[in-house]
Amino acid sequence: MSSNNTNQTRTNGSAKKEFFLFRWIKRLLFPNKELDIYAEEQLQSPMRMVVRNFFSKPMSVIALVVFIIIALFVFIAPEFVELDLGEQDSTLVNISPGFQMLDYPGELEKNGVQDISIGYNYSVACDKTGKVYVWGKYKVTQVIDLSEIPENVQNAKIVQVAAGSDHIVALDDKGTVYAWGNNRLRQTMLPADLVANNRTHEFGIRKIYASDQFSLVVTEDNRAILWGNENFADLSYKSSELDGHVLDAALTNTAYVVLTDTGSVVCANFNASQTVTKIPLMAMHGVKSIASSSTTVAALREDGRVIVWGAATKGENKVPQFSSDVVSIDGGRYHYTALLKDGSIVCWGSNRYKQSSVPQSLKDSKIKNIFVGSFQNYAVDSEGEIHTWGLKGFLLGTDKLGRDVFARLVNGGKMTMTIGALSVIIEMIIGIILGGIAGYFGGVVDMVIMRIAEVVSSMPFIPFAMILSAVMGTKVSVEQRMYIIMVILGVLSWPGLCRLVRAQMFSQREMEYVVAAKALGVRESKIIFSHIIPNVMSVCLVSITLAFGTSMLTESTLSYLGFGVPLPTPTWGNMLTNANDSIIIQQYWWNWLFVGTIFGVACICINLIGDGLRDALDPKANGR
Amino acid sequence: MKKYIFKRLIYLIIVFFVVSLMMYAIYNLIPSDPALVAMEPLRKSLKPDEFARQYQALRTQMGLDAPLIQRYARWMGLWPDVNGSFDGLLQGNFGYSTGYKRDVIEIIPTPMLNTVLLNFCSTIITLAITIPLGIYCAVHARKPSDSAIQATTVIGYSLPTYLVGILFIFLFAVLFRIFPTGGAKTPGSNYTGLMEFGDRMYYMALPILVLVFTGLAGMTRTVRAAMMDTLSQDYIRTARAKGLKEKVVIYSHAWRNALLPVSTSIMGWMIAVFTGGSLVIETTFALKGTGRLYWQALNATDYELVLAMQMFYTLVSLVGVLLTDISYTLVDPRVRIDK
Repeated sequence: MSSNNTNQTRTNGSAKKEFFLFRWIKRLLFPNKELDIYAEEQLQSPMRMVVRNFFSKPMSVIALVVFIIIALFVFIAPEFVELDLGEQDSTLVNISPGFQMLDYPGELEKNGVQDISIGYNYSVACDKTGKVYVWGKYKVTQVIDLSEIPENVQNAKIVQVAAGSDHIVALDDKGTVYAWGNNRLRQTMLPADLVANNRTHEFGIRKIYASDQFSLVVTEDNRAILWGNENFADLSYKSSELDGHVLDAALTNTAYVVLTDTGSVVCANFNASQTVTKIPLMAMHGVKSIASSSTTVAALREDGRVIVWGAATKGENKVPQFSSDVVSIDGGRYHYTALLKDGSIVCWGSNRYKQSSVPQSLKDSKIKNIFVGSFQNYAVDSEGEIHTWGLKGFLLGTDKLGRDVFARLVNGGKMTMTIGALSVIIEMIIGIILGGIAGYFGGVVDMVIMRIAEVVSSMPFIPFAMILSAVMGTKVSVEQRMYIIMVILGVLSWPGLCRLVRAQMFSQREMEYVVAAKALGVRESKIIFSHIIPNVMSVCLVSITLAFGTSMLTESTLSYLGFGVPLPTPTWGNMLTNANDSIIIQQYWWNWLFVGTIFGVACICINLIGDGLRDALDPKANGR
Repeated sequence: MKKYIFKRLIYLIIVFFVVSLMMYAIYNLIPSDPALVAMEPLRKSLKPDEFARQYQALRTQMGLDAPLIQRYARWMGLWPDVNGSFDGLLQGNFGYSTGYKRDVIEIIPTPMLNTVLLNFCSTIITLAITIPLGIYCAVHARKPSDSAIQATTVIGYSLPTYLVGILFIFLFAVLFRIFPTGGAKTPGSNYTGLMEFGDRMYYMALPILVLVFTGLAGMTRTVRAAMMDTLSQDYIRTARAKGLKEKVVIYSHAWRNALLPVSTSIMGWMIAVFTGGSLVIETTFALKGTGRLYWQALNATDYELVLAMQMFYTLVSLVGVLLTDISYTLVDPRVRIDK
């Protein structure tokens, strides 16, 4: 504000004179005309010489251009890439970069879709010929790869598939159940009666289900069989009560309910403490089919009404009005998709990854079947064509808390650059004022200021900044802490600039123009700050450029050590803190590689610009 | 010379006290009440007024109600404690670490050894590489080989130390599996003598490598700049005009003079590495050095330890600056100090 005000008064005071910064920039970037060497000797200002020298070096120009691109990118992109600081999702952790999540194989569409099931970050499908396809992010760990379909599954004619968090269950036309994937928590260890049935085919299997580390099958004789990690979900099943009555089941992340032949949704285990297993009255009779999101269950009643219960956090229970009868519903992680009788589709729930935005192109086609899961939707129309919408993937992957690395990269860059720039401005203000005063007046003033500068510069920088940040930053908000970091960086790094300005001041104050100004009776503060300082600025420019790089480095080092901007606010420094782990360095390289690269390039560019400026300012380099 | 050193020593002491007072004042911004902490277990067994009386007595005994400057002087050992004895920093009482439940003075030596070893090795290696490299660059200035080295050094000094650390872990510990990713010794090993030293060096190799790499760039540029400056001097032209061999000119006339300004930056660089650089390196590689100790103490809000180490860091940098100035005047007779 204050600078604006001075601008105003200045322009008012001398009508035709432009604001000095404006004038400098104009001179810097738009030199008037080329002059011959003699005229140039007379007229060319040193600043213009510097600019010309600077732009004659391709390296400096490239560095400047790259840096401007990076700066523009980190300041403009955050306007488009929103960052929700509290956002995290355990199902989206450590996803590698790329947009393959909805890339179903063309062969599947050609052969006709039999079944599609969606796991956390991958999808599995079987076509009409019984072939199984897996796509998306199917690498669970370095070793476990879900796309390595076991040989007996490849040979069998698969008719149903079900995707869990990190395991896949499949059913073939003879009623054999297969399971593969991560077996650390016995997700793929079929129970004894199923293993026996795989050989004898004593009973048929109607439907298979899979969720987080547990699976369920419903047999033709209306029994449910469960297996998987019992610590995660209560897998005890009231067999004596429900055997012979189970028609359908719905699995949330940690619980499950079944639909009985009386049209009632029932909690099938002995633990009815979860919100999902507390069945509402409306779902106790007349239910046609059931579906589930990760924390809620939806029941479709005979009368066409849809009831949702459970821990609905993202609007899963806000069931919209349907224009015609609902044929079937299916749930993703935080949303539901319903297929209506007229072939149109209605979605509700979370729309964070556009999973509830039905694409316009679907309006013309008649949808026969929908497959929903996680953040993805697949719809198959009457011609067998597959339509998809929802989360495709992440440009630069996600980190260990499921946050989008790209969004954090651009927002963190903005933060790092802002802190760097503002701390340099603070440094500049202190350094130039104190240096100017010390150099101009000399004597006792100079002595006092230089002793202060020595005390400040003799303090070990990083340890001191750390303790200041730790002490001052304990009871303040993130934003205040950010400003504190800037002030700490600025206040601790001014002595260098101060010394430079002072040394320049010593030589400038003896010049004729200063003597002339003094003789004219110009105020001393005016002589220092509007006569001498502009002449010194060009020399300070190098120091300021390099200081900007140093500030960014220091800020990121502080953040890396945990004493800068605190998480979850991203900066390039604290994003790299996550990478201080050999597993992340090795397996989840996208956590550090992109941030490291852009940060490294930005720092290199700043240093190249600083070097270029230094060379340009060096009179020896002019060649005459 | 003696007068100069004496003057500088006086000045150093003043600065040390000013900085330590500032540190102590900052440290006192932290709301903490050791008297209340000590009394807390007795709260239930005592009546409220009795508790308040004893608490107040303890506060007086601990000297907590004294003004800041008096508490500082007591902590420093310049003012008698309540019981009349001097027991402060100057008497060798560095405080008591709440995190380690030991006196600070007992905690510091082992990590210090690691840090000194780390810095010593990396300094020696860095200098052994940079000085010849810098001279080579200066002699071959603006030739392709020089430009290539210059370009690499810009990368080296632009990148933050921890990023180089991560990169080196990825390259040498993950991809090629030459060095361990971190730690100080082979877990469960019980080596002695030379084997122990070898094992320690094996674990320290990667941190040293990182420090050398980051130090390489800046030092090479400093040496190169100094050498180029020297090579443009008149006496070099004279030496060449006399018909001396280029080798003699460079290695006898030029480089000794060129190293004068370098010696200052070596010291400054060593201070920076010893305080800031080793902090980052030791945190990245989980090396038990002073930097990591400081980092852990700050994280655990073990402030007496932090304060003692901060004093140590301040002393290191002050003495470092003093040594630099003195060495500068010793090696360069042109620098006159007793003006």
